[in-house]
Amino acid sequence: MNPIITAFANGIKKSGIELSKVVVVSDIPFDPEIIKELGIDFFHTTRGRAIAFGTGLKLGNPELKVVAFIGDLMTIGGNHLVHSGRRNMEMLVICVNNFVYKEIAGTPSPSVTTGFSAFSTFEKPFNAPHLANSCGAVFTARWTALHTNDLTNSIAYALPKPGFSVIEVLSPGPNFYQDINKIESELLNFYFQNSITKNKEDTRNVEITADEKIITGEFTDKKKTTFIDSYNAQLGKILGDKFIPLGGQNE
Amino acid sequence: MAFRNSEGLKMKANPRDVRTGTYYMDGDIAAGYGALAAGCRFIGGYPITPSTEAAESFARIAPQSGAVFVQMEDELASVASIMGASWSGVKTMTITSGPGYSLMMEAIGLGAMMEAPFVILNIQRGGPSTGVPTKTGQADMMQSRWGSHGDYEVIAISPDSPQELFDFMIKAFNLAEKYRCPVMVMSDECVGHMSEKVVVPPAEEIELEPRRIYTGPKEEYLPFKPDQDLVPKMVKAGDGYNLYVSGASHDERGYPIIYQKGKNQSDSTARRLVDKIRLNADKIIELHEEKLDDAEVVVVSYGITSRVAVRGIELARKKGIKVGKLRLVTVWPFPDQRISELAAKVKAFVVPEINYGQVVYDVERCSHGEANVVLVPHGGAGVHDPEDILEAIEYAATEKKKIRKVIIRKTRLEKKVFGGGLK
Amino acid sequence: MESKEMAEKNVLPKDVPTMDVHPMDDVLRMDRIPHIWCPGCGIGTAVTAFAEGLKKAEIDLQKTCIVSGIGCTGRVAGYVKLDSFHTTHGRGIAFATGIQVANPDLKVIVFSGDGDIMSIGGNHFIHAARRNVNMLVICVNNFIYAMTGGQVAPTTPHAAYATTSPFGAVEPPFNIPYIADSSGAVYVARWTVLQVRRLTDSIAEALKKPGFSVIEVISPCAMYYSRINRLGDGLDMMKFYHDNTEIRHGEDTKNLDIGFQTKIIVGKFVDRERPTYMDSYNKWLSGTVKD
Repeated sequence: MNPIITAFANGIKKSGIELSKVVVVSDIPFDPEIIKELGIDFFHTTRGRAIAFGTGLKLGNPELKVVAFIGDLMTIGGNHLVHSGRRNMEMLVICVNNFVYKEIAGTPSPSVTTGFSAFSTFEKPFNAPHLANSCGAVFTARWTALHTNDLTNSIAYALPKPGFSVIEVLSPGPNFYQDINKIESELLNFYFQNSITKNKEDTRNVEITADEKIITGEFTDKKKTTFIDSYNAQLGKILGDKFIPLGGQNE
Repeated sequence: MAFRNSEGLKMKANPRDVRTGTYYMDGDIAAGYGALAAGCRFIGGYPITPSTEAAESFARIAPQSGAVFVQMEDELASVASIMGASWSGVKTMTITSGPGYSLMMEAIGLGAMMEAPFVILNIQRGGPSTGVPTKTGQADMMQSRWGSHGDYEVIAISPDSPQELFDFMIKAFNLAEKYRCPVMVMSDECVGHMSEKVVVPPAEEIELEPRRIYTGPKEEYLPFKPDQDLVPKMVKAGDGYNLYVSGASHDERGYPIIYQKGKNQSDSTARRLVDKIRLNADKIIELHEEKLDDAEVVVVSYGITSRVAVRGIELARKKGIKVGKLRLVTVWPFPDQRISELAAKVKAFVVPEINYGQVVYDVERCSHGEANVVLVPHGGAGVHDPEDILEAIEYAATEKKKIRKVIIRKTRLEKKVFGGGLK
Repeated sequence: MESKEMAEKNVLPKDVPTMDVHPMDDVLRMDRIPHIWCPGCGIGTAVTAFAEGLKKAEIDLQKTCIVSGIGCTGRVAGYVKLDSFHTTHGRGIAFATGIQVANPDLKVIVFSGDGDIMSIGGNHFIHAARRNVNMLVICVNNFIYAMTGGQVAPTTPHAAYATTSPFGAVEPPFNIPYIADSSGAVYVARWTVLQVRRLTDSIAEALKKPGFSVIEVISPCAMYYSRINRLGDGLDMMKFYHDNTEIRHGEDTKNLDIGFQTKIIVGKFVDRERPTYMDSYNKWLSGTVKD
């Protein structure tokens, strides 16, 4: 996790966004000391609901910049992902993918055989950038945890970008492994070595399979009207003067 | 300007939010008007019969006040989004009925732990599961108190008319801001779909409780440090307070106690969440009492049933039975003390409910065997007949023995449909 | 005889075959007819197409189950004479997964509405598609939440009116074939209730295909969607479909968005092969568990 947090902190700094306006919502319990050093507000919610929680935060105070660090994006959080993408709710979702929760794990790779359960899943995993893209995300990307510079740049770009952005970060989870230090850094390195950056690749082709290299990069970058803009425009058109737009009022 | 005052100063409603006038409207629609008048600025909802009209009426009047109604994809998302909105500084609520209420339970626990003020309007319907969506019921009362896992306390209030649905929305928001706990407005389909005269007063006459804002130096702010009345002061996200708000059991800084190395990890958070309401119960509980001075039988009721009970009591008084009315405006926290006091003086309690026995067990618990407790159950999809309550009152007044369990007096409809059995 | 005389005497001409039972008697629960759907609703037509499709596919009706959720379309399970399940809102697909996995011989059909399947059931939809569970999902899309009184749905076109979007829908709608395709469904088609015969053929085809199949059926809602948006009644909507649908088989699902009163593209878009959930499961376990 730590390289991801460093990249996140650098990304915020690089983007120039005011630190006090950044709010992180997550179902991963961050260490409070880290949050204190980062200097932002943090909300730890129930599993998978970070995106819905973030929707409320954003619509209650449209000046906030909401970042959802979510591990369980695609299982419990699947419905929220799909609908927030459709609405184009303005937030940045950083999905920390550690292959452990079964939706994402594919067949175990040949070089890391110790520690994986014999009943590794046979289900086809979700291709997170493709799912996010088909649900309407304006920016999708995937990096591994060691791609710190690229990750920083992606976060710095996506944070001020209006709309729903999803960045998937591949990072090992320490749960199932016997020798944590050795395997965790070995796995981190494995992901890094076996990845190949292909920016602007069509998201249909970026599945993670056992035999091929992991494709990283920034895949989608488009413009779409956000929820708040669409809301203000539509209601302003119908109601005219009587309407008080979101984001302007101070109540 | 809902959140600029410090504690102790009441404030008036914003005239833009209040549609002053006299109306003939449904209870649901009155609830929507009441929510906006109370200052609600965000509703994340999902349509479910019979509560949809409340969301629709709010959606119609909200944009002119700068409030937002978002129809979320399901109830799980609705209730999660109102937690976020609450912490971003606005008053929020959601509107649902039985099946949606069950889906919201996990997040209600989260809201209780985070001490986010919010209101849930539950227009109860026939249950369980899909049940009878278009008819009334009162079978979610226990769920409102015990629905989520773990120890926490809620406040639940029960209106009995469209006018009260308007007034109680304001009351609910005030209670939520004052005690920072989930507040449930437990109405039912009969009141929700009933059309009656509703008077919306001018904005100056509506008193609102402002959110308790912390105004001291930023470095010294402890999000969960309680005041004298065990309720902490609140801030909102994005103001540079470096919040750490979690659903895990936490200390005063908000940090989860699993991160406290070496300290005694007994969970003190749940203790305060529970004490916050229990120790302030006498300030929260509201009861409407009538004719209790010489009463030998007391009819304990809430919601629409209390209106039917009024007629039943009238009929009984005409027959010379000394019966009084105790209406539970706040159902939770339960008025333990008052029931115990009455149990020492009266012969029996009669509890009509549109369910097969929920609040009656709390009445029995508090009577400590000193008075009989008679339940008049009703399966839902309608309300009691006053004659059923009269019959139960007559029985209660004449029964001489002390019967140490809840006595069930069936309605005539029950006897006709189900015959004997169910004792 | 003259037809007028025949009508008076209640007699049919000799060469018209008569039947003692209605041709759909074995597939519909006749004791529950008349049904609850409004005049001008397209769900009835969809059910007829479904009944005909069932018969055309010649599958064993004893081993077929139909699961519905909540809503107007959710009532379909109650009118069809298969093993019917009327479940909670949005959980039809999860329920059906359970039936299928526990007893793989059963053919399961989920017949429900756009609000039920795509809104609250969205998560179950994308996961069942990803897993390629063997079932047919028939999603009747009337662009609104009709049963509860006409609220906005995630498929309501932008700027269309509904009771909870009294100033026009603010959010862009879902493109159901696109989501189904991206999540991995093996058969994706869309028809309106005007194209009954093609719909019947589509259903028959999808019933015989193993894997997760999705057929979106666009239907008018005369009581709410058309009325609130001043689009006329059911017949006017059918005329609209007649003039504004275009059949394009194999079209890329990205281009299938539906706007307010715009052209609707129908057809069979995806038809591919993938190992089903139970196939993968059996193959994997027989590989890892040695006996």
